[in-house]
Amino acid sequence: MITIAIAKGRMQDDALSLLARAGIRLNAEQVNSRRLALEDESGEYRFIFVKPADVPVYVEHGIADCGVVGRDVLLESEADLLLPLDLGIARCRIVVAAADPDVMTRAVGMLRVATKYSQIAAAHFGARGMPVEIISLSGSVELAPALGLSDLIVDLVETGRTLRENGLTVVDEITESTGRLVVNRASYQLKAEAVARLVNALRSALNGGEPA
Amino acid sequence: MRYYIGAEARLRRTIEDAAMSVFESWSYEEVITPSVDYYDLFEQGMGPAEAQRGFRFTDSDGRLLALRPDVTSSVARVAATLLADRPRPLRFCYAAPVFRQQPQSHAEWRRENTQLGCELIGAGGKQADLEVLRLAAEILTRLNLQSSYCITINNVEFFNGVAAELNLDTPAREQFRRLIDTREAAELERFLKHNGRAFSQLTQLTGKRDVIQAARGLIDNERSVAALDSLEELWTEIEALGLQNSFELDLGDVPSLDYYTGLSLKIFVHGAGASVGRGGRYDGLTGNFGRAEPAVGFVLNLDALTEVVGRRAAKD
Repeated sequence: MITIAIAKGRMQDDALSLLARAGIRLNAEQVNSRRLALEDESGEYRFIFVKPADVPVYVEHGIADCGVVGRDVLLESEADLLLPLDLGIARCRIVVAAADPDVMTRAVGMLRVATKYSQIAAAHFGARGMPVEIISLSGSVELAPALGLSDLIVDLVETGRTLRENGLTVVDEITESTGRLVVNRASYQLKAEAVARLVNALRSALNGGEPA
Repeated sequence: MRYYIGAEARLRRTIEDAAMSVFESWSYEEVITPSVDYYDLFEQGMGPAEAQRGFRFTDSDGRLLALRPDVTSSVARVAATLLADRPRPLRFCYAAPVFRQQPQSHAEWRRENTQLGCELIGAGGKQADLEVLRLAAEILTRLNLQSSYCITINNVEFFNGVAAELNLDTPAREQFRRLIDTREAAELERFLKHNGRAFSQLTQLTGKRDVIQAARGLIDNERSVAALDSLEELWTEIEALGLQNSFELDLGDVPSLDYYTGLSLKIFVHGAGASVGRGGRYDGLTGNFGRAEPAVGFVLNLDALTEVVGRRAAKD
């Protein structure tokens, strides 16, 4: 049996409907219950539902063989995993945003950056040689500039609505993020056939199926 | 920080003894290297990226010391200096703790783990490669893991040939390597733009003998083809030994260690979430210490093996 860790939240519904198109179906009633581990109808797969940031941890340790999680989370975690498929789901951008779009050019000295993605932010500004002070937050990052906690934020953007409503504009796009299939290195070898079956089923669902 | 007490400690000792007795039966001599040595040694041996993960501190005269992050560097130096005049090949084995800084909650290595390892120095070619592969297989069989392990093999020259063909500069080469190593086919296709489609299949070259044929259909540069030839010869020997079910070719396994020059291998065991061992050929290493000669070896992680074998025993 293959264990698949699914990131709860944004990713979950898209991931489950993609899996259904690949012929892997879950009992809807069970999904809606609060159970955190369940099997699909064939009994070939076991699913666990965990917080997005925990997906790479479960998979790297081999507790789950595979996982579905956003690229944003993977960039932040630096876990050693295989990433054989871009699932194209839950597409969004990781951007730098500010209340004052000119802050980057006008600033002298150190800019303060509030973010949930401190690794990504540090790498982005580091590569440009811009000295910044990273302030790690765990949510509602859009508030930080308005309240004077930071000059900039680095955050995930889907439609841009939350940014606009908080008076922020995008000043730079760091990268795009989509849901990825991740695979444990040991499972990739030791359960090669079962993993290949899953990858192929998902790949043909991606190529043939219409977007969910 | 891990304690072993009573039965667990005995099991760990049994596994260590089993491995060391297999090494001994193949005429490998035990070598004990210093736990603390000058940092320079490890930087020369492992390259700066890996050596920097060692714990470093200063000597009373200000020189930089390190707790050994590997044993191979020390063995290579000893072979090139103290034992320069000994007849070749040299066969060394060890069971020794190594120390590395590790980001929290990563799976593969703890801060301290004990390596069971061997080095075959001064012997190149297929027979030497095969010798260490057979050794690894014999140790795992001795531990009753004969139907539970998988050793993946590759030859890094296959990748080097492709990278040279594409004429990549150093950062691009590193990105190319990372994309293949993590099997990011779609990203690889985007990265390579023009010839993306053919090369993106490099991420899918995992399996038995047919992988080599598939690779020949994709790549025709001389260096990569030579690597494929030597892998095919090695595979023929593996089949002749009847070990093909325990081995796998994985042309997408491109380790970050810059010192591998030919064969590279990883060892997986059912029940362990990460590889329990790795190794390969590093013909460039002893040259760093003044005497260039071929060398090949591998390490097994004693702590990971103890965990797997212990859990199996508990289940039975």
